[in-house]
Amino acid sequence: MTLTPEEISALYLSAKVSAWATMLSCPLAIAMGWVLARKQFFGKPLVDALFHLPLVLPPPVPGYLLLMSFGNQGGIGRWLNEHWGFSLAFNWKGATLAAAVMSFPLMLGPVRLSFKLIGSQLEDAARTLGANPWSVFFTVTLPLALPGILSGTLLAFSRSLGEFGATITFVGNIEGETRTLPLAIYTAKNLPDGEDMALRLIILSLVLAFGALLANDWLARHVERRLGMK
Amino acid sequence: MLDLNIDIRLQRGSFPVEMAVRITEPVSGVFGHSGSGKTTLLHCIAGLVKPDSGHMKLNGEIFFDVAKKQFTPPHKRHIGLVFQDAQLFPHLSVLNNLLYGYRRLKPTQRRFELGPVVELLEIGPLLERRPGQLSGGEKQRVALGRALLYSPQLLLLDEPLAALDGRLKRQILPFLRRVRDVGIPMLYVSHALDEILYLTQTVTLVDHGQIVGHGSCLDALAKADSTELADGLDLRNVWEVTILENNRQHGFSVAALGKQRIILPPALASEGKTAIVSVRAAQIALSRQRIEGITIQNQLPGRILRIISRRHGALVEIDAGVVVVAEVNGKTVGDLNLREGDGVYCLIKAQSVEYPDG
Repeated sequence: MTLTPEEISALYLSAKVSAWATMLSCPLAIAMGWVLARKQFFGKPLVDALFHLPLVLPPPVPGYLLLMSFGNQGGIGRWLNEHWGFSLAFNWKGATLAAAVMSFPLMLGPVRLSFKLIGSQLEDAARTLGANPWSVFFTVTLPLALPGILSGTLLAFSRSLGEFGATITFVGNIEGETRTLPLAIYTAKNLPDGEDMALRLIILSLVLAFGALLANDWLARHVERRLGMK
Repeated sequence: MLDLNIDIRLQRGSFPVEMAVRITEPVSGVFGHSGSGKTTLLHCIAGLVKPDSGHMKLNGEIFFDVAKKQFTPPHKRHIGLVFQDAQLFPHLSVLNNLLYGYRRLKPTQRRFELGPVVELLEIGPLLERRPGQLSGGEKQRVALGRALLYSPQLLLLDEPLAALDGRLKRQILPFLRRVRDVGIPMLYVSHALDEILYLTQTVTLVDHGQIVGHGSCLDALAKADSTELADGLDLRNVWEVTILENNRQHGFSVAALGKQRIILPPALASEGKTAIVSVRAAQIALSRQRIEGITIQNQLPGRILRIISRRHGALVEIDAGVVVVAEVNGKTVGDLNLREGDGVYCLIKAQSVEYPDG
């Protein structure tokens, strides 16, 4: 089957938004995951709850909150626009932010767990071999946490592909800008004779999701072999 | 050269740790039961644990001093640590494990090179493997090599044999002796006194978070005689002997022990080579005169250096060319009227002599 320009646009946008959202979340999830796994500090349960909120709230709620703060009338949005000429309103960058916020807790979970599971004794061994804290992190902790980071990344990427509620609330449903696959399916479904189009998009989503899962499986096994876990 | 000066206090779990000792012997052991605080002491020396108060100095350099608000983190102390279960990095090859610390040294700081260390520990065939593919004994040898290649100014060993079975222990012991002989100051922590005595006569005794004795094994025990630690000890004599004759027909060997000759079970070492032998102190009997018509073949004449009374007996230290420690019943000391300076014969059955690493 050949794809129509609208379908290609939705597919490309979905991939772009999800890839960016995942890439931006990843370093933050690693930093936050490490802090939450290793450090005790005042207000930790509160921080923890805050990052997990998008998981339990109805998606339009974070979407609306994003609109209020990052929209052109919102405090942060206006500041960004005035000082940096950077706008998140009703464009793919906003869709990326929405996807990142919604998928972040899914990445944080596995990352944090894998940091927790790495024995501190291996890090102690590195420290008694002259490695400073940064060196310990990059040569021991991070490589050993890689399987967890990968699985978190995939979860977040898949969640971003499916992101709907927060996106449509925050940045609307604009073809070529914010109409990702789920939004395109929703739009097609509402057209009088859009059944066929919706079905084609659904098949496309299935293929994409399967592809992502298989790629992750292959990658995870490759990494585990490299880490000497198998 | 070693000058380690520790005086630290901290709370560990339920009991307080208060340890003060000065160690200047290049190779010494730390002995105590499980949970006595040995590992805590080691971790404080390495800098992995920060004491609540006190100070610590190594070779003139202050590593920890509460009064001066000073604390040197582990990676700046240059102290190596070999863990009980090796703690090799699973994602690195054996080679990269070995070089982990080495690469972090300036070339001028490197006292050992890869080739000789690999040869010393016989780990050449393992270099390309992952730690997951190694046996317990191989892992521990690689861990020793990794610590050696870091050229530490002090090498701490935390029960490096505890996770190994008896057969593997025998295989690793000679390697520990080799590491000892390359000249790095060593602190060997164990709850097995025989392992420590195999390497050194100097012991620090740890009990319930306190250091209860330090010095030559007997001195330390003499000071600590009231504690339960000293009572349950399986004290051993460890001697280096030179094999003179292997009599295969009758299944025994003859060796030179100091200026005396001693009959041993068949030795693995060939004639002219040295071997390490050990005899439990409790297996050695004492006699006023040489006894004829007895199956005990070794009767070494010597002179009593001192007698240390313990709750369940007495330790008698004898100079028989080498130092012999016999553990005898307290009553017999009185019955035989043994005193320091008396001449005695040490009776040692050939079959009671063991080869700890053979």
